[in-house]
Amino acid sequence: MENLKYKDIDENIMDILRSPTRAYYIMMGCLFLVLLHGIGCWVYLIYTGFGVTGLNNPVGWGTLITNFVFWVGIAHAGTLISAILFLLRARYRTSIFRAAEAMTVFAVFTAGLFPLIHVGRVWNFYWLIPYPNQRLLWVNFKSPLVWDVFAVSTYLTVSSTFLFIGMIPDNGIIRDYARGWRKKFHALFAFGWRGTHKQWHHYYSAYLFLAALVTPLVLSVHSVVSWDFAMSIVPGWHSTIFAPYFVAGAIFSGVAMVGNILVPLRKMFRLEKYITDWHFDNMAKLVLFTSTILFYSYAVEFFLAWYSDNPFEQAQFWYRAFGDYWFEFWLMVFGNCLFPMLFWIKYFRVHRGWFSVICVFVNIGMWLERFNIIVISLSKEYEPYAWGLYTPSYTEIGLTLGAFAWFGLWLFSFIKLFPSLPIAELKEMLKMPKKEAR
Amino acid sequence: MEFKFRRRDFLKGLLSGGAVALGGCSPEKTEKVIPYVVPPDDYIPGVSKWYNSVCRECPAGCGAMVRQREGRVLKVEGNPKNPVNEGALCVRGQASLQGLYNPDRFAQPYARNQAGKMEKISWEDGINMLAQKIKQLSTEGKIGNAMFLSGHVTGARAKLIDTCSSLLGMKKRATYEAFSYESIKTAGDLCFGRKEVPFFVLEKADYLLNFGADLFETWISPVRYSKDFSRMRQNDGYYKKSVHVEPRHSLTAAGADEWVSIRPGTEVFMALGIGHELLKNGKAKLSAEESAGLNELLAAYTPEKVAADTDVPAPTIKRIAKELGEAESGLVLGPGMAGGGKNSVDTWVAVYLLNHILGGINQTILFGLGESIGQTDSYGDIQELTARMKRQEVPLLMVHETNPAYSMPGSAEFKKAIDQVPFVVSFSTFPDETTEFADLILPDHTWMERWDDFESRKGAHGLLQPVMDPVTDTRNFGDVLIEVCLKILGGPNEKLSSKTYYDYLLESWKGIHAASGETKSFDGFWEGALRRGGYFAAAQPENASFTKEIVSYKFMDAGLKGSANEFYFYVYPSGRYFDGRSADRQWLQEIPDPITVAVWDSWAEIHPQTAAKLGVKRGDVLKVRAGKSEIKVPAYIYEGVRPDMVAVQAGQGHEALGRYAMNVGVNAVSILPQDKEPKSGALPWLSTLVSLEKTGEKHLLVTLDGSLDDDNRGIYQTVTKAELEHGGDHGKGHHAEKDYQMYAPHEHPTYQWAMAVDLNKCIGCGACSAACYAENNLPVVGKKECGVGREMAWIRIERYFTKKDGTFRAGFVPMMCQQCHNAPCESVCPAYATYHNNEGLNVQVYNRCVGTRYCSNNCPYKVRRFNWYTYKWDNPLEQQLNPDISVRQMGIMEKCTFCVQRIREGKDRAKDEGRLAGEGDIQPACAQTCPVNAITFGNLKDPKSEVFKKSKDPRGYRVLEVINVQPAVTYLKRIT
Repeated sequence: MENLKYKDIDENIMDILRSPTRAYYIMMGCLFLVLLHGIGCWVYLIYTGFGVTGLNNPVGWGTLITNFVFWVGIAHAGTLISAILFLLRARYRTSIFRAAEAMTVFAVFTAGLFPLIHVGRVWNFYWLIPYPNQRLLWVNFKSPLVWDVFAVSTYLTVSSTFLFIGMIPDNGIIRDYARGWRKKFHALFAFGWRGTHKQWHHYYSAYLFLAALVTPLVLSVHSVVSWDFAMSIVPGWHSTIFAPYFVAGAIFSGVAMVGNILVPLRKMFRLEKYITDWHFDNMAKLVLFTSTILFYSYAVEFFLAWYSDNPFEQAQFWYRAFGDYWFEFWLMVFGNCLFPMLFWIKYFRVHRGWFSVICVFVNIGMWLERFNIIVISLSKEYEPYAWGLYTPSYTEIGLTLGAFAWFGLWLFSFIKLFPSLPIAELKEMLKMPKKEAR
Repeated sequence: MEFKFRRRDFLKGLLSGGAVALGGCSPEKTEKVIPYVVPPDDYIPGVSKWYNSVCRECPAGCGAMVRQREGRVLKVEGNPKNPVNEGALCVRGQASLQGLYNPDRFAQPYARNQAGKMEKISWEDGINMLAQKIKQLSTEGKIGNAMFLSGHVTGARAKLIDTCSSLLGMKKRATYEAFSYESIKTAGDLCFGRKEVPFFVLEKADYLLNFGADLFETWISPVRYSKDFSRMRQNDGYYKKSVHVEPRHSLTAAGADEWVSIRPGTEVFMALGIGHELLKNGKAKLSAEESAGLNELLAAYTPEKVAADTDVPAPTIKRIAKELGEAESGLVLGPGMAGGGKNSVDTWVAVYLLNHILGGINQTILFGLGESIGQTDSYGDIQELTARMKRQEVPLLMVHETNPAYSMPGSAEFKKAIDQVPFVVSFSTFPDETTEFADLILPDHTWMERWDDFESRKGAHGLLQPVMDPVTDTRNFGDVLIEVCLKILGGPNEKLSSKTYYDYLLESWKGIHAASGETKSFDGFWEGALRRGGYFAAAQPENASFTKEIVSYKFMDAGLKGSANEFYFYVYPSGRYFDGRSADRQWLQEIPDPITVAVWDSWAEIHPQTAAKLGVKRGDVLKVRAGKSEIKVPAYIYEGVRPDMVAVQAGQGHEALGRYAMNVGVNAVSILPQDKEPKSGALPWLSTLVSLEKTGEKHLLVTLDGSLDDDNRGIYQTVTKAELEHGGDHGKGHHAEKDYQMYAPHEHPTYQWAMAVDLNKCIGCGACSAACYAENNLPVVGKKECGVGREMAWIRIERYFTKKDGTFRAGFVPMMCQQCHNAPCESVCPAYATYHNNEGLNVQVYNRCVGTRYCSNNCPYKVRRFNWYTYKWDNPLEQQLNPDISVRQMGIMEKCTFCVQRIREGKDRAKDEGRLAGEGDIQPACAQTCPVNAITFGNLKDPKSEVFKKSKDPRGYRVLEVINVQPAVTYLKRIT
């Protein structure tokens, strides 16, 4: 990066915004079809009823809530990278935070769909929101699901604000270069940016302020999501470790997802100069760190189940490891706890192939973690007569894939519409250009 | 700038948009409710009326009370005034509604046309056709061989058939019931000279030794025997012992204190062995001379020899004999349908002999009270008829309320025979295997639509009255028969003076009135009978004396000896389908079998050892072959059967009988050989050995249990007598250490509804579940949905297998919403769709439910039910829906409400009378129908209430008490 000039950065980043190739359109078309299929599944679900899912009594939540938690978890990395690492002055964040932030917003978009999809009568979803009404009906503030509504909507608001504020200078730059509709478009999102000293002053104040505001949200949102489970009495859910454990897991999966996005992005748009071994090394360390937290959390869960002498907990954790869903459990352990241990070795941290594969396994593992927590706990709860198994149905798989497509469409549209790497901040990374002293 | 969008345009757009929106919003057709212009005098909209009648779902003839509202029958309950069932009703009785509204019942008469197809005809044509046929046979001189073949009918109906048969010169009617009691009758004849089904007074006994009579499901009068059994066990507040000896762990075995597994068909030897021991111990309540004679008869049956024959250990035999001898009034019962082999008369003779030794004849076994089921013809008689039919000696057969083409063993034989009958008339309400052969179908009313009477036993005259207009164009069989007769005879005569069956019934009841010695006028008598649901005179038992000739009786074995690769074929009757006639009731298909908790199926029960030997897992299809005939049936593996047998439930596998019964399971009776019990002509249910073969096919056998046992979680708890006598058990089960509360406890100013379930009484029959289906508009979801855990039952009987000291047992826990005080469901609902009301109920507001299903996830009892679809009822089944409760849309959670509509009704009634609802004012449907009164409902705020007392019972426990949800349901431990 040392050899770059300001102009190079402008050009390189704006290269990403060039008119898309055929391959891009084909990919978007495919994603759109998958999304359409997902929408079809949803319409079918609404029209026919929840019988088209694999859910049952006792397993009232399954793939859909797994997806919700998974996507909320993914959403955490962006804010962590952009806000917390910003406050901590971790310089390696610069090249990766924009993509991570965008991913955050779109992951919340995706996550937010699932509470809607999973309610039995989606046409009444607004009953979950407290709003003044003539019948004086109010929501139940004791219910973690209501907390969820607040947590997720707050997170969406703040993280998208953060994203758009952060892009103001970059949009200004692009506006100045662009022509046609792009000029109007970026002018809109530049919010009248002129790059004056005063504006920069305000901009940095606002950015710092938002970073400070969003930081506690990183911790709170996933804590609240974890309480969806922890506040219940279901063995396997009812646990005080859930909040930190979920937050760590969220960052873990989120960083892995950022990795999964950046590796192809870097390759496709030849950003090798901007996203270097140094970045991957640091991301891998973050993954490794959160992986150990998770490893510890899993161990604590099992330890507590044994130590509590609570027969229901004990049965639940025994069942988790050695019951009907043993494969899902051990695949999760492999993906989340064992495989990332390779990151102790630098070779694996900076080797793009290994890095990607491990990150994919982390995401599979994290998806399964939620699946295991939700489904396995419910399938063997207190009442032995009511035990039962769950298998995702075609509709649920369709919805899950549709969600990935939905996320992908947003993300890839973003890449072509907005600067995926922060132009202004990258320039800050360069040494001040000055004439050579002779 | 001018704003172009004008107000007019806005309104236009609004209207057209609205119209489009409205059009899209109403996919369901609008149905109009049109009120009466001039309502009947006694009609109050929204108020139900109850009419007393008699349940005719089986020959027991329990009293029924039918709820009618706005001209529709909505619910059937037991008639408390009828001495047979005293207010309770079994699972079949509850499901009788699904017979009334069965979508497959005949809608009008049918006749076979030239092409051999059934064709709709008018009633006039049908009646004329039958009359002409009879006239034609009369002129041809063949009428003497024409006859009726009926099920068990009594009273005016039986009299009418017999009168008409004789007036028309026909042969005497034959009656066929698949479940008849020939062995009991013949043994009674041999022992006492009384060929009848006696009355067994269980409640007077203090020790019951049962050789297999299935008291709770089909045997003679199951509701009454369930009740009596329960009373017997609680005589003097102390729990009397009952021992059940049967090869299979049946429902009755589960209800008994001890189950002794015996080699099939050898019950007779065990009875004799016990007799031997009783005599040896000097416990015989007989004269010395008689004892001496019997000593000689029983000398050979030492416990050791008997043990070798029966596979019951000699010490067990000795112990049971000792306990029986020490009891003040022990009662011994013989086998029922299942286990009645080719020596079932001998078994019953031995049983009578034992009772005689115990001094129980005329004490716990009463003769002369005439169980009317004793009047049926034997299986042997019907076999003879079959042979005659086959020889084309029967020109006209009129079939009424019986289905031998299904329920006779080797039913193919009967089918061949009935095919040889030139003209078959059926009066069946439902299409069944026998109506397939009918040339003329003149469908009868169901029992809720007709005038009739039924004498369940001597002196107990039940009266049936029409409670609603016929659902389809059917006619009372009696009316049809009278019309046909009068048509042929040309007018009334002295033997048949009535023009309608109602008049005939009145005439018949005039006779009952005259015989009753009542001083009231007939009108008053009749009205009283209508109100009560019958006239129930107390009949006096007649003394029976045991014959001395018994000393020379030769007891036979069942004649079932085979190779090691053959298994005893143990067909047992189902409490849900009876002889198969109730298999077309969806509720009965969906309410699980009590022991295996399987639904919508047939299965072959085999022992794990047998399964290992055959290499079979649950659901693997077995070929069960007896001689040339075979059935294919999936395996169910458990320890409730012996390793040398295979047990299959009867009643399924219909080829006709409507959409719900067809293609479900197999007909186990169909492969029984056509043997008969030599002494009585009874159908021996245990008459063959079969070979088992693994086919390699897989079958989805759906059982509703998630686990075979309760995983030591204290869901099903027992206590021993010794522990109870020491003031309850200590430290058993998990108790909440302290009442930790985060929030202030709920207040219940006036009422706090609660329930107590006595597991020592519960027999697991499932009647509560059926009552709940009927009362609360529960949808039926079918086998596939049941298989993924989506059955909608609000109350289920949880069956848990236990194994204590090597003895395998099944225990039952009725599980419904526990209406917790600290309800976990309430706190997690985001929309307040479920909340705690001030009467202690977890109220579920369907309209407010969004369907997050969190409440269900957080319910430790898993009693909440989610509407996975908008369920549909096949027309006209929807007419049964209870208008007091909504029918739930898809996406809504529902659950047991303690029948909140009944609570409301009871409170309203009490309020009208200016008082609070007290004990007995309110009964949920489950508690109401329970044959053994295991469920008590009431107000916990009232310290005098039964439920309050039970909640403090030393046997009381709450399921999963340790998690501190404070359920409102107290379970009373079963005493073992």
